[in-house]
Amino acid sequence: MRGAMLPAAALLAAAFSFPAPAQDATRGAAVAEARQCQACHGPQGRSEIPEMPSLAGQQEDFVTMQLILFREGLRRVPAMTEAARGLTDTEAQDLAAYFSSLPSGPKPDRGSPDPALMARGGEVAASRNCNACHLPNFAGRANVPRVNHQREDYLLHTLTEYRDGVRVGADTQMNGLLYGLTDYDLRAVAHFLAHQE
Amino acid sequence: MIRRHLLGLAAAVALPGIALAQQQQPAPPAWAQGRPAEMASSPLAPHAPRLTVTPPDRIPVNSLRVPEGFQVELWAHGLPGARAMTRGPNGTVFVGTRGIGRVYAVRDNGQAREVSTLMSGLDQPSGVAVRDGALFIAAMHRVLRIDNVENNLQNPQPTDLTSAFGQAAEPHHGWKHIAFGPDGRLYIPRGVPCNICEVPEDRFALIESWNPDGSDRRIEARGVRNSVGFDFHPRTGQLWFSNHGRDWAGNNNPSDTLHVSLRRGENHGFPWCAGGFQDPAVEGRLCSEFPPPALILGPHVAPIGTHFYTGTAFPEQYRNALFVALRGSWNRAPLSGFEVIVVREGENGRLVRESFLTGFRDDANQRFSGRPAGLLTMPDGSLLVSDEDNGAIYRVSYRR
Repeated sequence: MRGAMLPAAALLAAAFSFPAPAQDATRGAAVAEARQCQACHGPQGRSEIPEMPSLAGQQEDFVTMQLILFREGLRRVPAMTEAARGLTDTEAQDLAAYFSSLPSGPKPDRGSPDPALMARGGEVAASRNCNACHLPNFAGRANVPRVNHQREDYLLHTLTEYRDGVRVGADTQMNGLLYGLTDYDLRAVAHFLAHQE
Repeated sequence: MIRRHLLGLAAAVALPGIALAQQQQPAPPAWAQGRPAEMASSPLAPHAPRLTVTPPDRIPVNSLRVPEGFQVELWAHGLPGARAMTRGPNGTVFVGTRGIGRVYAVRDNGQAREVSTLMSGLDQPSGVAVRDGALFIAAMHRVLRIDNVENNLQNPQPTDLTSAFGQAAEPHHGWKHIAFGPDGRLYIPRGVPCNICEVPEDRFALIESWNPDGSDRRIEARGVRNSVGFDFHPRTGQLWFSNHGRDWAGNNNPSDTLHVSLRRGENHGFPWCAGGFQDPAVEGRLCSEFPPPALILGPHVAPIGTHFYTGTAFPEQYRNALFVALRGSWNRAPLSGFEVIVVREGENGRLVRESFLTGFRDDANQRFSGRPAGLLTMPDGSLLVSDEDNGAIYRVSYRR
């Protein structure tokens, strides 16, 4: 029934072991330099600007996908629409490799955790199963972003956008997940996540 | 129906505490609704869509397998997210996508295929169909028509038919497969806005049809959780559709299914029954009340392209056979699907299923190298298969 079974098996093995990654962090560093990513996202990918996300240690697939969504006009942020204009797929993948290769770390002046916000944030995170996709340490995986070590003000900003339907991802999971949460709950979750290691 | 209401009322009266607790429980994301407590720590999650171009040397065409006498080649590449396909009268193949928001046009110049992006920035425009030289595009809740499309590939001017078709705005399972029936009507499914839930039976879980201008809405099938592939039998004209069963009810339940619509408007089981699986999450109606599926496809295999082969180049037993592209599972360990199957009438009219295009799934390592999605018979009798994960289209042809 199935012809050429033996050679196909050999080819199958070859097809699943890709030779070298297409993306390149060194090339990505040059693209980041040329497009002045650091001006907003920080010299080592750690943002020093309110409501501007840190990208150091961010998940590679997530960064690639967001850059494509910016380029295609599907995620609308004026500064990024301009920054992502004309970006090739390879440049997006290289940028993602570069930012994911930088060590993540907490905002140096993030302050000490507020017990009430930590408690409520932990409750909300548990009840909405944040750990299922973002993993128990909230470092994310593949197309699911790292949310630990992120700036608290950015987390609050983007959580609010998701809740209010202003931002959509490649799918609508985050919109459905945050539906109905109060402003205080979002503040608490942002505070809780920003204090995860 | 009365019994269901009574049961619901009894539960609400007897257990106010539980009802209240459920009200205060936040809604889990749509994909996790109905998940039993023991699966709460499961690491399964939908696979990340790939929105970038896969270079041709990384497209796994050489590892694909077809039955003896057939061959498979790479026909087009550079179409991230390639999904449903349809063909214009002058030979342009139009390709819908989801996450990347594009509709592609592919022209064959005899030597090679030229891929261009016809539309972009749309919200999951996965539905494409051609009628009288016009391309119809169904995005999440929008319907667009581009007249005389093949003469306007560089500068398409869509007419927005969204208000005429009145699609529900709920995004979940709101992406479409669309097709024109032999009756000249446009068929559009409306999936359910959840994983498992009771829905208004004339609003969700439907396959509906309209006149091409969006008038005269008609419900063709009810109780269909999420159909993203259907076709019309070349001889009988009957509507055959595949359907996705719910997630988080276990590795082996329920099965995805193939149905034939014998009576217009009939309910095919959602939310109570899927492929003979009586769903414990929803009470009220029994599997025996619904027409059984034509064929059980297997748990979580995710049927997309569901397509009658109308060519004559394949051997006799493939004429009018139904090909089904199984895009492959995420809510299951181990993986299932990731292949194209062919369904034929065997002895006594029983349906027989065989694998047709395989090699995407690596069972030893629990990985996959591609996800077959759309299917299209070409005038020369070859079969095109789109690979959503690699943004590629393969061509399967027969050589005796």
